[in-house]
Amino acid sequence: MEKVTFESVNPGDVLPPFTRSVNQETFWKYAVASFDYNPLHNEPDWVKTAAPFKIPFTVGHGMMTLSFMTSVVTTWALPSMLHIRKMTSKFTRPVEQGWEVRCSGVVSEKHYITKGKNFVTVEVTAENQDGALLGISEMEVVFPD
Amino acid sequence: MSHADLAKYFKTEKQMEFSTDFFTNAENYEVWDEIDFANLEEVDGENTFEIKAEDVTFYAEGCLDDNPLMTDEEYATNSPYGGLVPHPIFITTICFWCVGVKGKGNWIRTPGARNPGQVIEFYENFRVGEIIHVKMKPHDRYIKRGKCYLQYQMDAYNQDDVLKCRMYATLILPRTREDIRKFLKGIRGLED
Repeated sequence: MEKVTFESVNPGDVLPPFTRSVNQETFWKYAVASFDYNPLHNEPDWVKTAAPFKIPFTVGHGMMTLSFMTSVVTTWALPSMLHIRKMTSKFTRPVEQGWEVRCSGVVSEKHYITKGKNFVTVEVTAENQDGALLGISEMEVVFPD
Repeated sequence: MSHADLAKYFKTEKQMEFSTDFFTNAENYEVWDEIDFANLEEVDGENTFEIKAEDVTFYAEGCLDDNPLMTDEEYATNSPYGGLVPHPIFITTICFWCVGVKGKGNWIRTPGARNPGQVIEFYENFRVGEIIHVKMKPHDRYIKRGKCYLQYQMDAYNQDDVLKCRMYATLILPRTREDIRKFLKGIRGLED
């Protein structure tokens, strides 16, 4: 993979997408990985009546969705030693079993500060297989040189 | 799903030890309308987190990321990083572990809590071998479109007190202890 440099990146550049399919098994395994055992994700019987999202079935963790969204940036940035320094995110719809989560990223801003502190902002979105928006995020990526 | 049923997924020591039952003790979790915002003292989490390679690789596996810098210790060791690079959102695992069950911040375990989105600042990558502790304090509490939001600042430091990551952990929560009790009975405990 060609090294990404501050000079080579420009607003409008599109990052390779990150797409994953999810089901209840995915939610359980993510719960184990994150220690987030909220029954909203893990307990199909409980959620039938408790329904925090007003839907009677389990949904994926927001942090799982954010992980997918972040992977768009890490896959692109880590091989070039770039560092995510900040991210803001908002989830717009919970992820349901059987969905495909499609994450995409585009460079939206380029900040000329000084060597070692220059950074770009990447806008990342997550959608399901029907194009419904699941989450949005802005991630600032710093270039070491 | 019970601890025994989840055990088929466990691969690390911490996973076997961690309390997967978010219902037990839930009546004693901190509650949105009882948080004392007059007292913004920073407090320590209940536990420290010694980062092992298995913790890093399992998180990547759990979020379906096959990046060899996160999953292949030998590959990562021979890379310019010199070791595994945790997925950035691994901070979630660290926070749940460090907050624990009985101490401040345990509201992140509230059954039925919803995640509206997060703000996270990363200062340095976590590294295998570091021993992480979390300090936290209330940051904000607000109502928006009928939903009750609670936000804590959670700072993760290594054993040398180097700030590695700051997370403004935010959830939409049941408003009262009685609302939590509803959720424990399988009744929706949110007002929106």
